[in-house]
Amino acid sequence: MNWDLLPQQLVIGIQLGAIYALIALGYTMVYGVLRLINFAHGDVYMVGAYLAYYTSMQWFNRESMNPYVLLISMLVVAMVGCALLGLLIERFAYRPLRGAPRSSLLITAIGVSLLLEHGGLLVFKTAPPPSIHESVNVLAKNSLVVFGLRIDSAQLAVFVVTLILMLLLWQFVTRTKTGRAMRAVSHDFDTAALMGVDVNRIVAVTFVIGSSLAAAGGMMNATALGTPLTTFYGLIPGVKAFVAAVLGGIGNIPGAVVGGFIMGICEVLVVWAGYGGYRDAVAFVILIGILMFKPSGLFGSAAEKV
Amino acid sequence: MNFTKQSSLAAAASMAVLGALAGCNGSGGSGGGADKIKVGMIASLNGELKPWGEDSMRGAQLAVEEFNAAGGAHGQQIDLIVEDTASKPEQGKSATEKLVDQDKVVAVIGEVASGITQPSAQVCQQNQVPIMAVGATRVDVTEIGDYVFRACFTDNFQGAAMARFAYDDLHLRKVAMMTDKSQPYSTGLSDIFRKAFTSFGGQIVDEEFYEKGTIDFKAQLTNIKAKNPDGLFCSGYFNEVGPIARQTEVVGLKVPMIGGDGWDSKELIQSGGTGILGSFYSNHYSNLEDRPEVKKFVDAFTKKFGSAPATAMGALGYDATMIVLNAIKNAPSADRTAVKDAIAATKDYKGVTGTFGMGPDRNAEKPILVLKVTKDGFVPEKQIPFFKFEG
Repeated sequence: MNWDLLPQQLVIGIQLGAIYALIALGYTMVYGVLRLINFAHGDVYMVGAYLAYYTSMQWFNRESMNPYVLLISMLVVAMVGCALLGLLIERFAYRPLRGAPRSSLLITAIGVSLLLEHGGLLVFKTAPPPSIHESVNVLAKNSLVVFGLRIDSAQLAVFVVTLILMLLLWQFVTRTKTGRAMRAVSHDFDTAALMGVDVNRIVAVTFVIGSSLAAAGGMMNATALGTPLTTFYGLIPGVKAFVAAVLGGIGNIPGAVVGGFIMGICEVLVVWAGYGGYRDAVAFVILIGILMFKPSGLFGSAAEKV
Repeated sequence: MNFTKQSSLAAAASMAVLGALAGCNGSGGSGGGADKIKVGMIASLNGELKPWGEDSMRGAQLAVEEFNAAGGAHGQQIDLIVEDTASKPEQGKSATEKLVDQDKVVAVIGEVASGITQPSAQVCQQNQVPIMAVGATRVDVTEIGDYVFRACFTDNFQGAAMARFAYDDLHLRKVAMMTDKSQPYSTGLSDIFRKAFTSFGGQIVDEEFYEKGTIDFKAQLTNIKAKNPDGLFCSGYFNEVGPIARQTEVVGLKVPMIGGDGWDSKELIQSGGTGILGSFYSNHYSNLEDRPEVKKFVDAFTKKFGSAPATAMGALGYDATMIVLNAIKNAPSADRTAVKDAIAATKDYKGVTGTFGMGPDRNAEKPILVLKVTKDGFVPEKQIPFFKFEG
């Protein structure tokens, strides 16, 4: 363990955690309104990464385009595309089951996940990572050095985009009428419906927001890290983000964010200590720990146990 | 339901007849005359190993075609029976059982993966049928028994040869390693590299681990950078090595990277970006070599199948098959044990993947080719002749 490296490793952990937090928000918000663990959420993240790939490598001309315009286009296409996907999933897979036992919903969610992973093989091929310039990742190469800490431009972009999206989400949930309705549905689905809240609309809005946040995470990770894409790209991040949501207290929005950052930082600390081969195990150790000692999570109400 | 049952019954009946016929042929032995000599092949024609498996089958088909055109062996032609393993060890085992029990093949060729070769080789050893592995580099594959051979080098030699190259040619002294803890291939190769490199006088300053499917390697690379290495050995597969290379640039680690034949895919250049350019890895041969055997093979392969082999398994499949066919020709009769002895006696075979013979441990004793990663592809850098390194 090299203590001098700790601050640098924390920067890396925060970047990782920001992405987990974005995905975890979708899990926690959907759970809030429907009491459903949407296992297909990680696969929406995967589709977001693919949309970013198609935007940069096929649909737009990345050679002649301003790289910043291209990056923003990739983000917008991924978020809008996945918002539509989330809407479709909710409309055709979950809405027909409204009022059905929770286990039916859960099994359907697993089905949707398998559909996207395996059915996706028909549409998506194994793809190289999205890139904004031929063989050179301009974004990842330029680094900023602050007090000896190296922050590359991809990390900076992840911090800024995540912060903006989270602030927007918070404003939406606390300041708008729809946001208030969403909290009401989350508090008590049936009573909110009796009070005249259009619950179907609120559930749809929740899926749109959750899916577009996951897509933003998928676009940023795929572009910054350079892993070839497959339809199973969202499997591991999806599971980790789910654990992050449980850690923060499922259904609790700030909890999901905190949980995401804790997950990211813990993972990096394990690598820092020299046990990089056990990095994925951390997520499950944390999950077992919460289930044993604090099933409601850090900020969850005692009633919600997953 | 009924239909399925009937058809499977019919299939079983025809299998039985075929089996009986094959049995007759087998007992007819070498005096069969016009009958063909049957050679079996197992290859991953479906599943994740398809690109490699398909190439190995095509290489074998080309070898059989050329061998038959040249007159065959013992006045007979060769009949190649190919079975699909679907990239699965259990299916490889049942495919081998079918070839050995029903088709009564003289020898089996395959597989491209060590994990599928192992159960198949056990079947062959029990039934005393020679098997020639195409791309199984794991050291213990040929330890199964005296009927198990391989046409490729072992990870022992691969790790030692890259350590030699790193020390002698790149003049590296302090190397860090990245190892995929979830892949036995990667951990084995890292172990050999460490032993060889330190025995030559070099130093391993750090070894960091990751798992298959990891996408963010910046934490590991940050640890490595703090140790100031002059080289980075990555023993894993291209799926992870590409992003590792890209992220070395992000953390500011600017050292040459080296690795093994797990790097061999065009995707490496796409995902590695500029970070992978100028790196080196070991492979069995390259389409771009100007040895006459390579030129002749690549031309014939392109003519028959429409494009040059995409992976090294085309040439290895060709060489593995040719060694078996030559052994059948050189053996006093096309009998399993005689063929085994003739394979073991192979010396100075001039193949596409180099000139080599079978060592006492039934491994091909052959040179290794170091390739350099460039923007336009993998360019041959240096051939390292075979040497013995005991791990």
